Amino acid sequence: MEYKLRVAQMDFPVEVEVKEDLQLNIMLGDKKYMVDYTVVSDYCIHMAVENGIRSGNVNAFVADGPEGKTIVINGRSYMVQDNDCLAQVVQKGRRPNLPDKITPPMPAVVVSIPVAIGDRVKKGQAVIVVSAMKMETTLCAPYDGTVVRINAGVNDKVAPGQILVEIEKDE
Amino acid sequence: MFKKILVANRGEIALRVIRTCQEMGIACVAVYSDADRKALHTLRADQAIHLGASEPAASYLDIDKIIAAAKDAGAQAIHPGYGFLSENAGLARRCEQEGLVFIGPPSRVIQDLGDKTVARKIMREGGVPIIPGMVRAESVLQLLTDEAGRIGYPVLIKAAAGGGGKGIRVVHAENELADACRQAASEAAAAFGNGAIYLEKFLKRPRHVEFQILADSRGNIVHLLERECSIQRRYQKIVEETPSPAMTPDLRAAMGQSAVDAARASGYVNAGTVEFLLDADGKYYFLEVNTRLQVEHPITEMITGIDIVQQQIRIAAGEPLGFTQADVTGRGHAIECRIYAEDPENGFMPSPGKITYLQEPSGPGIRNDCGIYAGFDVPVEYDPILSKLIVWAADRNQAIARMKNALSQYVILGIKTPIAFLMDVLASEPFQEGKTYTDFIATHFEGWRQMTDEADLAVLAYIIDEIAGPGRLPAHITRTTGPATPWQTIGSWRL
Repeated sequence: MEYKLRVAQMDFPVEVEVKEDLQLNIMLGDKKYMVDYTVVSDYCIHMAVENGIRSGNVNAFVADGPEGKTIVINGRSYMVQDNDCLAQVVQKGRRPNLPDKITPPMPAVVVSIPVAIGDRVKKGQAVIVVSAMKMETTLCAPYDGTVVRINAGVNDKVAPGQILVEIEKDE
Repeated sequence: MFKKILVANRGEIALRVIRTCQEMGIACVAVYSDADRKALHTLRADQAIHLGASEPAASYLDIDKIIAAAKDAGAQAIHPGYGFLSENAGLARRCEQEGLVFIGPPSRVIQDLGDKTVARKIMREGGVPIIPGMVRAESVLQLLTDEAGRIGYPVLIKAAAGGGGKGIRVVHAENELADACRQAASEAAAAFGNGAIYLEKFLKRPRHVEFQILADSRGNIVHLLERECSIQRRYQKIVEETPSPAMTPDLRAAMGQSAVDAARASGYVNAGTVEFLLDADGKYYFLEVNTRLQVEHPITEMITGIDIVQQQIRIAAGEPLGFTQADVTGRGHAIECRIYAEDPENGFMPSPGKITYLQEPSGPGIRNDCGIYAGFDVPVEYDPILSKLIVWAADRNQAIARMKNALSQYVILGIKTPIAFLMDVLASEPFQEGKTYTDFIATHFEGWRQMTDEADLAVLAYIIDEIAGPGRLPAHITRTTGPATPWQTIGSWRL
C-alpha cells in the first residue's frame, strides 16, 4: 500500500507492508519502521515502534476530520493529510480563502451590524462585528461599494463560509 | 449554616462550588442558559433552573432572573463564582435588599474597590504602598500633562472603572500623551460604560504577585500566602504558581501584612485577592483588589490544605475564622496551567466546537478542575476556559516535571487547545530559572510554533487508523462481530 502524506509542512512518501496480524513494516521515504499496533478504542492507537533510532511504546490519539486526521502524541498535535485528497480539502477547509467575502474566521455570534441595505461603504469600513468567546472581530468591506444584502441578524450564530453581508462593488 | 445555595455561574467554577456545597451537605441550585442545557454544572447540581437564551445578558448577567431563581428554589445564599456578576455591586445590593446572602464582600466594599482611584486612595490612607501616580480620575489635558510630568515617563493610562488589565496604554513621551488619553478614554467608555482615566508610573519588568486574603465578619483577617501570576498573554494569566520564585520570608511577611492592611482599610469581608506589582529592586506596590474568588485559587488550596470555597460559605454564614495567621503554612510547590479553547498557532483565536474525546491526566499531586466532557459542545458565547490543570509537588523542580508530564497526558480532541504551548513554556529555560516577569510571553514566545520532531510517529498513526481504525472494516474476521453494514463500508464521511 502506498500513500503520499503531508504533516508539519513536510511530505512523506509512504509504503506499507502488512507483515502479520497487527504488525506492519512501514517505509517513510528511505527510513524503515517496524510497528506492532493495537487499536485501543475509536480514538486511541497503541504502537510499539522500532526503527534503529526510535524504539518504544507510543500512544497516539486520532480524530478524523474534513481536512485530515488530527493526531496527538505526547501532548503535541499534528494535522496529517493525504496529498492525493489535499486538492479537495482546500475547497472545504475550515478557514475558506475568501478574501473578497464577508465571512467570519471562526464560528461566532453576530454582535452588531453598523450598516444597512443601500448604504455606500468604503474599502476598509466596518460592516459587521462578530464575537466568539468574548473576542470581538470586525469584518470590513473589501472594496468601495453598496450594501445589497445582509444575511444575518444580531445574535445569530454564524460559521466560516457563510456570507454575512453582500457588497456590490463600485464600477 | 445555609440549607441551599444558588451558584450564579457556569463551567468549571460552578462545578467547583457545587462540589464543596455537596461535601458540606448543602443543597445547591445551578442556573443555565440554552447553550448549557447539558453542561456539567447543570447536570451535577441538586436542582437546575433555566435562565434563558445563551447570550450572557439574557442569562448569567440577568440579576432579576438570578434573584427570581434563588427565591423560587428557596435558596438562602448566592455564590457568584468569578467573572459574570461576581464583582457587581448591584447583585450584592439586590441580595441585601431581598434577604439573600451574597457570598462575598458587602456591596459598598465591591463598589469602593471597583473604582481603581477610590481603591488607591483607601490604600494610601491605610498605609499600603501604591504605585506612584494619581488617586483621582482627570479629563483636563493640561492637568494630565502636569501629572505625567510629575510622575515621570513612561506613564500608564488606566481606566478608573476598569480592571483585569483592560483599557491600559503606555505613553513614553509627552508628545504622545494627548492622543493616547483621548483614545483610552473612549475605549474605557465603550468597554466599561465610564470614560474616566488616571495615570500611574509604568514599572519596568515587574512581577505580578498577589495575596489571598480571608476576612470574617468579626474583624479577623488572615492571608493565605502569595501567588505568582506573571506569565500572561495580553494581560490574561495563563500560568500561575506558589510560592513565588522571587519571595523571601521577609518580603512575604511584609507583603502579607500589607495585604491584611489593605483588607482592613477597605472593610473587607469574605475571600479576596490583593494584587501587587513587585519591581526589580524588591519594592512592591498595590495594584488592585479582586473582590471575588480568583481563577487561580486552587494553587493556594494545594499548598495550604484550605478549601477556600468552604471558607467563603462559612464566613457568609456568620462563622468566625477557625484559625489564625500562625496556623497558615505553605508546604511544597503548586503550579496551575489554564486550558483555554484557543489555537496558539493562530493568534490564540477562539476554538469553539464539540469535544470528541477527552483524556484527563491523573495521579499523585494532580488536580484538574474541568468543566467539559467528551461529547460536550463548547459554546461560542462565553469565556473559553475549559479547565485548570493544577499540580502539587515537594519543590518547584518536581512540580515543573509533574506539570510537563501531566500536560503530555492531557488529550482533548475536537477543538484546539494551548497544551503544546504550555508544555514549551514550562520546559523553557527562563521558566525553569524562575525568571517570570510580566513580559515573559512577549519576550520568549512571540510567534511560537509547535515542535514537530515526532511527525513521523504521527504518520504511522495515520496509517494504522486508515487500515484498522473505526472508519474502515478490518480485514480480519476475528475483529468483526457481524456482517458488514453500509455504515462500515462507506468509510469516514461527515454531515
